[in-house]
Amino acid sequence: MANTLRLYLTCIRNTLEAAMCLQNFPCQEVERHNKPEVELKTSPELLLNPVLICRNEAEKCLIETSINSLRISLKVKQADELENILTKKFLRFLSMRAEAFQVLRRKPVQGYDISFLITNYHCEEMQKQKLIDFIVQFMEDIDKEISELKMSVNTRGRLVATEFLKQFI
Amino acid sequence: MILLQSHSRFLLQTLLNRVQNLEKSVELDYHWVEFDDVRYHVQVSMKNPHILLLSVSLPTPPLEAVFLGGLPFGAIEAIKAAYGVIVQILDPPRDGFNLTLKLNLSKLPPDEEYKHALLVKIASVREVVLGAPLRVILKYLASRTVAPDMDHLVALVHRPNESFFLVPQAEKVTVVFPMRFKDSIDTVLATSFLQEFVESRRTAGLSNAPPCLWSHSPPLELKGATDDALSANAGFVTFVIFPRHVEGKKLDRTVWNLSTFHAYVNYHVKCSEGFMHTRMRRRVESLIQALNRAKPDQEKTKKTAHTRSFKRLSLKDSCTNSSS
Repeated sequence: MANTLRLYLTCIRNTLEAAMCLQNFPCQEVERHNKPEVELKTSPELLLNPVLICRNEAEKCLIETSINSLRISLKVKQADELENILTKKFLRFLSMRAEAFQVLRRKPVQGYDISFLITNYHCEEMQKQKLIDFIVQFMEDIDKEISELKMSVNTRGRLVATEFLKQFI
Repeated sequence: MILLQSHSRFLLQTLLNRVQNLEKSVELDYHWVEFDDVRYHVQVSMKNPHILLLSVSLPTPPLEAVFLGGLPFGAIEAIKAAYGVIVQILDPPRDGFNLTLKLNLSKLPPDEEYKHALLVKIASVREVVLGAPLRVILKYLASRTVAPDMDHLVALVHRPNESFFLVPQAEKVTVVFPMRFKDSIDTVLATSFLQEFVESRRTAGLSNAPPCLWSHSPPLELKGATDDALSANAGFVTFVIFPRHVEGKKLDRTVWNLSTFHAYVNYHVKCSEGFMHTRMRRRVESLIQALNRAKPDQEKTKKTAHTRSFKRLSLKDSCTNSSS
């Protein structure tokens, strides 16, 4: 189980290292505008082939690159109803704070749970390796956090039930 | 605080304050609300400082559990039995309230411990009044009989417009709670909590506790109840209470725990959500710190802002300048 996680993350890391070659590119259509080309997708010569990395049916990662921007979309595994609402709650919490994260997109791409948008400006401000480290660590942290939240709910449930039933003895 | 306490802390505080300053004339007029829409009103006037008027309003009962005479059945006897001569029930109660009690604080027993216990009992007026019908049924269970002319399926109110059901029999009483929650997240969390109740009963040490079942659909005991009583988005919880759970001192505790079961689960669901929010905030902070580590420029700009560079002028330089 942990094996496939390592492979999945290494694959994503390698793809990001190859994909994160961003340079400034002013908009071709409108004068004096500078837009992330991966969001608009108007000129096919500025876009690279999107790469889809699947760990299994439930978990996948879509990496779309263009000349000045890169979009990473993640789908997180949700095994049961409880994990479903915990994931939704947690990722919505993060997306609402997208301003603080800078590289996070406010709404995930259709079909995915969370998305990042990295532009050439981010690459100029931050080191490329450290940025890739951040993305990979983010993915690990999401998994860890969801499983810890689920465990805390189960532990609390057991404690609550035990205390209640003890009252009758 | 894991378990909900049966006395209202604010009411107890008010009573203790009054009893300690019995001779001081004050004007008190407090209104407050507690969980599940139970409202209180306390009034003390300057003219009679030792008389305290306590009014209680109970949650609106649904159609199948309507109060006859404005109070749950057995409530008046329970009040008289619990409080004795100190309390007088005023009829009719204050406008908007189900019950008004006139407390004569000068008639409190002189013994400190006994007085404190009685004040705690007065602060638990909610348990006494709302739990009165349940208490009656469980008292009959303790003597292994059933109350005369009792319905097969009894509905008692515990939340506004919602009730829980009892099937009283001579050797056991089956209690069924339809669990309803307004929020979908609450419903999922509550379902996982309720399933824990079934799981933890199986652990050792709790085999004497009442058998506990959870089911998604209404259990067989509820055959014959109305349709909206049978809708519950977090399933149905069934407890089977035996005489050993209600003998002696355990009766009051059992009554309180069963009356406030839904409130207990609701309280812990909300605590759980609050805890999750705290965790998520902490996680967001640690992720932002990780992101900031990716920015190398901040340190460099700091240095250039504060450092100054000096060039030392030597004597040789100044000498050559003047001579040439």
